[in-house]
Amino acid sequence: MDFTMIAQAAVQTFTLYNIALIFGGLLIGMIIGCIPGLSVTLGIILMLPLTYNMEDAASAIILMLAVYVGGMYGGSISAITLNTPGTNSAIATTFDGYPLARKGKVKKALDVSLFASTFGGLFSALLLLLCAQIITKAVSKFTSVEYFALGVMGISLIAGVSGESLPKALISGMMGLLMACIGMDTVTGVSRYSFGSSILRYGIDILPAMIALIALMQVVDKLREFKISGGKIKDANKIDKDGMTGKEAKSIIPACLKSSGIASILGAMPGVGGGVAQFMCYNEVRRGSKHPEDFGKGSLEGIAAAESSNNAVVGSAMIPLLTLGIPGDGVTALLLGAFMLHGITPGPTMFTKQGVMAYTIILGCLVANIFLYPIGKALTRAVAKVIQVRYTYLACAIVMFCFAGAFAASGHYKELIITAAVLILSYILTLLDIDNTPLLLGMILEPIMEKYFVSASMAYDRDYSIFVRRPISLVILIITIIMVFSMMRVNRRVNKLNAEQEAAMAAEHAAGETAADDPALAADSAKKATEESFESAIAGAVFEREHVKNNPTEDCEDKTE
Amino acid sequence: MSPTKFKIKTNLVTGILMGLFSGFMLFVMPKQVRIPAYDSGAPSPRIIPGICLVVILLCSIILIIQSLVFKKEKIVEFDWNNEKPAILLIVLLCIYVFLIIKLGFIIASAITFVIILAYCGERKPFIYIFTIALAVGIYFLFSKVFHVSLPAGILPF
Repeated sequence: MDFTMIAQAAVQTFTLYNIALIFGGLLIGMIIGCIPGLSVTLGIILMLPLTYNMEDAASAIILMLAVYVGGMYGGSISAITLNTPGTNSAIATTFDGYPLARKGKVKKALDVSLFASTFGGLFSALLLLLCAQIITKAVSKFTSVEYFALGVMGISLIAGVSGESLPKALISGMMGLLMACIGMDTVTGVSRYSFGSSILRYGIDILPAMIALIALMQVVDKLREFKISGGKIKDANKIDKDGMTGKEAKSIIPACLKSSGIASILGAMPGVGGGVAQFMCYNEVRRGSKHPEDFGKGSLEGIAAAESSNNAVVGSAMIPLLTLGIPGDGVTALLLGAFMLHGITPGPTMFTKQGVMAYTIILGCLVANIFLYPIGKALTRAVAKVIQVRYTYLACAIVMFCFAGAFAASGHYKELIITAAVLILSYILTLLDIDNTPLLLGMILEPIMEKYFVSASMAYDRDYSIFVRRPISLVILIITIIMVFSMMRVNRRVNKLNAEQEAAMAAEHAAGETAADDPALAADSAKKATEESFESAIAGAVFEREHVKNNPTEDCEDKTE
Repeated sequence: MSPTKFKIKTNLVTGILMGLFSGFMLFVMPKQVRIPAYDSGAPSPRIIPGICLVVILLCSIILIIQSLVFKKEKIVEFDWNNEKPAILLIVLLCIYVFLIIKLGFIIASAITFVIILAYCGERKPFIYIFTIALAVGIYFLFSKVFHVSLPAGILPF
């Protein structure tokens, strides 16, 4: 490991400014994460305009990572107190978090969640620190040909896993690539698809598009829900004072370890997000548990499994992003966008040319995870109150900030018009059941892919067969095809189960809650939980839960052992 | 079925819309993406958009075949009662953009969000005052802290 660089990075990380950013980021992340319907991606997008004027790009990324880390924990706060996951990565937390809360042990559930989140986050951040150097060395021989192949892999994998229909996901991804092509071509200077419009002449910036696709769409959805429900807020469980004991903390460490390990491997695979990892980890920890019968009824291990997994994904998803420049899911795609806005291209060159910055970011991620524990301890109670604030207060603030942020991208009116246009497009895509994550990813990856495509083509005198003639590039492309097809098969299987089990899952979850005094609320929440998961999280959930249901013997065997 | 509800065959509709879109874009490509007069050795600027459009076209055809031949369809029910608030909000946000350009950020925010809050059924005056104050706050946050001058419009800032 390059200790000189790490030492230099440590000096840069531990500045008062960066520490303050981490504190702020964690708090904002916790608040956004705990509000159901607002995702971590929204939190990161809101941070983008704030980071424009930051001199050090590493500080900007650290702030966003802190929001990511805080958001992953924040999602569990509402999962436990309201039985509604704040983010789609906290769905599995409701399985045990809420039953425990109904027993009056809210503080205990929150403490376990915080402990597990910190554990998982630290585990993966350390893994990131260890792996970054190794992977970077391994891929140091890559040329633009291989990078282009990696770009193709990144976009294909996301298209392969998101949504039920591959053609639709591909259309979405290609639309993203096409949107990024609009405007002046940087190499030849030719205008592409600008239709003589001054708005399109300089292309569509990523920031207004990200704001419209993710942030504004979420706010519109949430406001619609507010309007239809008449603004009713569910009663949250009050937080008591009886926290987690040292003995309990010790008892959940194996669960945390197992879950963090599995989630780190899953998170590092491009195309698998925290949404899927949580169910697999929950299931695995349950299978290996000494008390699998407690799962679903308020098991501490259950909460630990769910929560350490979603935070473990944060660090591990950064591994392919930082070392190869491939985003693993929607959030890392956004982070890639953020990198690009700050003029950084992640990949091995980042470790050689901007090594200190790369390590500063990794250390920042580590520090954010360390600080999560004390900040969570001190502020969870206050943050939990935010859920009770009427949504209209927040919605107006977010929308204003979004438009102001979009305008700030270039200080030109065209950004506002593009934002509104992409918002309309996003709504139409929703009506057509097309997921907009591949679109976003396409937009973000296009400049990078085209850059490598152009330099590879120029280097090999426009011999396009080079992409299949260079062995590493060919291997990457073959792996891409194999993975896309295997993922399609898994997707088909999952979809089949999904169709049969979506209703059953809500009923099953509600049945587990019959001991609680409000089954209607539980059914509603379970339904919400299924609805709020975008991407393929739910498909994964149903698949995993179906797997548990189909293999009850495994649990029994474990018990007898 | 009530007249406010109708079903969208998403595979078929997506196939038709995207097929038409990609066909049109491919048709106008010679005019919209010109080949540079001077050959710099760089690949043609048409390659990447061309690949994207061909893939979109192929996927559209697959979707249409899936829908018509294999009867594989994903139906989304469009319920006007459910969609009306979303459509209205999106329209309001588009008007918001127009107002920002014409009247400036603060006035546009004051008008748009008062309408949105009233539409959402907010009755207490505090939330209205809070929101307008917020618009002023965000304006100055951007201009003084981030050094981005949001459109002032008719206000003399």
